[in-house]
Amino acid sequence: MADDKAAILKGTLDMLILKIVALGPIHGYAISQRIQQISNRHFQLQQGSLYPALHRLENRGWLAAHWRATGTGREAKFYKLTAKGRRRLEAEVESWERTAEAVALILRTAE
Amino acid sequence: MRWLMRLFRRSKLEAQLDSELRFHIDERTAELIAGGAKPAQARRQAMIEFGGVERAKEECREVRGWSFLETLTREIRYALRSLRRSPGFTAIAILTLALGIGGCTVIFSALYGVLYNTFPFPHADRVTSFAIQDLSHPGSGREDLSMREFLYYRAHNDVFEDISGEYGGFGSTPVRWTTGNSNYQFDADYLSVNSFKLFGENAVVGRLPTDADVKPGATPVFVIGYKLWKAQFNGDPKIVGRYFTLNGVPRVLVGVMPPRFRWAWVDVWIPFTVNPAEALTDPALKNQGLYTVGRLKPGVSMKAAAANLDVVAHQYAKIEPRLYPKQFDVTADTLANRVTGGFHRLIYPLFYASLILLLIACSNVANLLLSRATTREKEIAIRASLGATQGRLVRQFLLESLMLGVAGCLGGCLLAWLGIRDIVPLIPYNAFPQEAVIQLNPPVLAFALGIALVVALIFGLVPAIQGGKGRFQSRLMALGRGADAGGLRHGWLRGLLVVVEVALSITLLIGAGLLLRTTFGLEHVNFGYDPAHLLVFQVSSPQSSPQTLRQALAFEPKVLRAIEAVPGVVVATVADSAPPYGGFSSEIEVPGVTHASRWSSLLDMCSPGYFAAFQMHLLQGRLLSETDIDGARRVAVINEAFARKYLGGVNPLGYQIQFRIFDQLPGAPNARYPKNTEFQIIGVVSNVRNYGLRQPPAPEAYLPYPVWPFPEGTILLRSAVNPTSLLPSIQRTVWAIDSDLAVTNPATVESMLNRDVFSSPRFEFTFAGVFAAIGLLLVMTGIFSVMAYTVSLRFHEIGIRLALGAQGGNIFGMVLKKGLALVGVGIAVGLLASYGLTRYLANQLWGVKPTDPATFLSVVILIVLAGVLACYIPARRAARVDPVIALRQE
Repeated sequence: MADDKAAILKGTLDMLILKIVALGPIHGYAISQRIQQISNRHFQLQQGSLYPALHRLENRGWLAAHWRATGTGREAKFYKLTAKGRRRLEAEVESWERTAEAVALILRTAE
Repeated sequence: MRWLMRLFRRSKLEAQLDSELRFHIDERTAELIAGGAKPAQARRQAMIEFGGVERAKEECREVRGWSFLETLTREIRYALRSLRRSPGFTAIAILTLALGIGGCTVIFSALYGVLYNTFPFPHADRVTSFAIQDLSHPGSGREDLSMREFLYYRAHNDVFEDISGEYGGFGSTPVRWTTGNSNYQFDADYLSVNSFKLFGENAVVGRLPTDADVKPGATPVFVIGYKLWKAQFNGDPKIVGRYFTLNGVPRVLVGVMPPRFRWAWVDVWIPFTVNPAEALTDPALKNQGLYTVGRLKPGVSMKAAAANLDVVAHQYAKIEPRLYPKQFDVTADTLANRVTGGFHRLIYPLFYASLILLLIACSNVANLLLSRATTREKEIAIRASLGATQGRLVRQFLLESLMLGVAGCLGGCLLAWLGIRDIVPLIPYNAFPQEAVIQLNPPVLAFALGIALVVALIFGLVPAIQGGKGRFQSRLMALGRGADAGGLRHGWLRGLLVVVEVALSITLLIGAGLLLRTTFGLEHVNFGYDPAHLLVFQVSSPQSSPQTLRQALAFEPKVLRAIEAVPGVVVATVADSAPPYGGFSSEIEVPGVTHASRWSSLLDMCSPGYFAAFQMHLLQGRLLSETDIDGARRVAVINEAFARKYLGGVNPLGYQIQFRIFDQLPGAPNARYPKNTEFQIIGVVSNVRNYGLRQPPAPEAYLPYPVWPFPEGTILLRSAVNPTSLLPSIQRTVWAIDSDLAVTNPATVESMLNRDVFSSPRFEFTFAGVFAAIGLLLVMTGIFSVMAYTVSLRFHEIGIRLALGAQGGNIFGMVLKKGLALVGVGIAVGLLASYGLTRYLANQLWGVKPTDPATFLSVVILIVLAGVLACYIPARRAARVDPVIALRQE
C-alpha cells in the first residue's frame, strides 16, 4: 500500500498549504489533516516537514500567524493568507494548471 | 540592533515553536486514542508520523534566519575558549598590541587635540589671522595693527563678520588685585569689546562685556577665566557683580568665561572700545598696536579674504605709509594653522614613528599567530574532516584575531590614558595654544578602535590564509610528522616577518639616534657665555601703568645700581631680549657702504653692564658708558658678526647705522627723534648666540636703552651664587626704592633655555627613544620566538645530527647563523629605508646629517647585538639537545 502513495511533488507543498489556508484561519495540525483528507490519503506527508514550510511562508509574508484558543480551549498557532499570499497562490495555481495541461496534451497526442 | 532585538525575542520564539509542535503531536495522540489506541502506543505512533522533532525545529530556525547569530555566538565562544587555552600566547599578543595601539593613540590624541580641535569657538575654521608681508623678506609679516589702522580695516574690509584686537596678553600685563591688605597678581589682556561676540562663546556665569560697558563714564568692567574662578574663588557664582580694585581702578566682574576660553593665555580680560571717536582720543588706546584676528563671513575663502585685505592694506598704506614696506601683500590663514605650525612639525614625525611601532607589533603578533596556526594543524585538520567549510575555518581565525584586536585596543586605551596623563605636561611650553585640550575623547577612541580593527585584519589574515588552505587530507595523513612539515612550509613567511620587523625597528632606532645627537649637540653648544647664574626679571609699577617715558627712565638707573649692590650680584643690566635670542630685528643701512641685498641686524636696548653679564670681550673701540646712557646718545656697539658680514675689510669704528625699525614701529618714540636716525659705531664685541642655538650668531647692535625704553623694565643679572636665592633680597631692595614697584616674572636663563630651547628636541627624543626601545624589545621577542620555534620543530633533526657526531658548538652556530641571516637581511632593508626616510626628519635635526654614518653604524651594532642576544637561548637549547630523548620522540 505504501508503494502507491507518492511523495508530494517538489514545489507543490507550498501551493497546497496556501490553498488550504486560503479557506480560512487554520492551525498546523489541521493543515496536515486536510492535506491527507483532500488528497484521499494519496500523498504521503512527513508531518514534521510541514512546519519548516509554514515558517518559510510566514517569513516571506505570504502567511500571517496568530495565537488563539481552539475548540478544546487550548492555545494554538493559526495561520491565514495575506494579500501577498493570495496573489502568490493565484500565480502558482495558474502556472500549475498550465504545466498540467501541457503535460496532459503531450501524453494525449503522443498516444 | 536587529540582532540584539532578536536575541531578546529568541527565547519567546523558541517557546512558541516548541508549543506549536507539541500541540500537533498532542492532537494526533488524542485522535489516535479516540480511535482506540493505548495512550503510550498512540504517543509513539504520533511521534513516528511526525518524524524528527528536533530536525523540524532546526529547519524552522534556519528558515527564520537567526541561525547566523547563533553560529556567531558559538564561534565567538569557541574563539575565546581557544585563546584561554593558551594564556601565555594570548597575554603576549594582547600586551604587544596594547603597546602598539597605545603609542599611536597617545600621539593621535595630541595630534587631534592640537591640530584639528585647536580652538573651542564655533566655526573655529573661520577665525582668521592675517599679516602684512614684506615681499623683499617673504615668510614673515606684521600681524599687529595700529589702533587707527585697526579701525580702518574694520570699516573697510568686505570679508570679515568682525575683527578682534588685543594688546598686553601672554603674560606681559600683570594686574594687581588689592583687597584689604592683600595683593594678588594676575595676567591680564586688553581685548576689543566686540571680540567677545566674535569668538561666539558665552559666559558660564554672568555675561559678556558689551558696548555700553566701554562708553565714557560707564562703570569699568572685566571678565575672568574659568581656571582662575575655580582656583581663586572656588567657583563661587556670587562673585559676579562684585567690585575688584585692579591696578587701583575699581572694576565690576561681569562674567566668567568657559574653560577653553584662554585668549592671549591670560586669566583676566579687560574690554576696550572700538568706537573710533573714543578710541582715537583715549591716550591709553590711540597709540596701541593691536594683535588682530578676524572671523570670516560664511562661505568666504582664504584666498578671497587675502585678496580683499590686500586692497584694504594698499589703501591704508597711502594714509600711514611709514607702517608699510615698499612692496608688500597680505597673507591669510586660519588662526589654528598659523599657531600650530611648530607643533605640526613636532608631532608628525612622532606620529609616523608610532605607526612604525604599531607595524612592528602587528608583525610580531602575526608571527605568533603563524606559529600557533602550525601547531594547531592537527585541530584544524580534524575540524575540516568533520565537515567545517574552508570559509568557516578562515572566519574562525579572523574571529580570534578580532578578539585579540579588541582586547589590545582596550589595553591600548588604558595605556594611552596613563600616557596622556603623564605626557601632556612634558609637551614643550608654547608648543601649542592653551585652548587646545589633549584627551581621550570619542574621536580619539574611534581612532584607536579603527586601527585595532585594521591591524587585526592584517595580522589575522596571514594565518587565516595559511590555515584555510585546502590540504587537510595530506595534513591529516601526515599527522605524526605533521609538525615539521608545517615548519618548512611556513618558514619563509615567518622569516619575512622577522626581516620586516628588524627593518622597521632600524628606522625607528636611527630616527631616535639622530634626535639624540641633536639634543646632545644643542645642550653642548658654546653660547659664548656661561648660561648658568643668569637671572631675568621685570620691575614694574602696576599702580601707575601705563607708565610714561620719563618715569621709566627715572627709576631704572636707580634700580640697577641698587640691585648691583646686593651681595652675590656680579653685574646687572637692562635687557629687552631673552637669551639665546637677541632683540628686535631691523632692516639697516650703513651710509657710505653700498650693497645689493637687504641688510638686517638685531638690536638690543641695554645698559653698560650688558657686556659683562654676557661675558663679551671687547675687540675694538669701547663699550657703552654711563654718559652714553644718560644722554641717550646715538651710539652703537656691534658684534663681530656684524663687522664681518657688513663691514669686512674696513675699520667699522666711526661708521653710522640707520635702523629702519625706528621709522616703522607704532609706539616707538620716533616722533621725538628725526627720521633716519644714525647711530655711530663705537666698539666691536665678541659674538654670543643671539639667534637661537641652531643658528650661528647673527649681526647685532647694542644701543643705549633710553633711546627706546619700555614701560616694563626687564633686568638681567649675573650672580656669583644660585641666582634664585637672591630673589628675596632683590625684592626688598626694589621695595626700598619704591614700595609700589614689583619684581615680576623672575626666571633663570637656564630655566628659560630648558623651557624654550631644549624642551622640543628633548620631548621629541624622549618619545622617539621610548618608541625605538619598545620596538627593539618587540623585535627581540619576535626573533626569539621564531628561533625557539624553529629549534623545537627541528628537535628531531638536531638529535640525529648530534647522534651522527655533530658537536654542540656546531649546532649552536647553525641556529645562530640562521637567526642572524634574517637579522642581516632586515638590516640591509632597514638601512635602505632609513636612508630614504630620515630626510623627512631633517627640520627637527641640528648639527647632524640625516644620513649620519656614525648613527647608522651604532644602530647596526645595537641590532646585531640584540639579534645575538635573542638567538642565544634557543641556540643554546639546541646545542644541549639529548640525542637519545630527541630520537625517542619519533
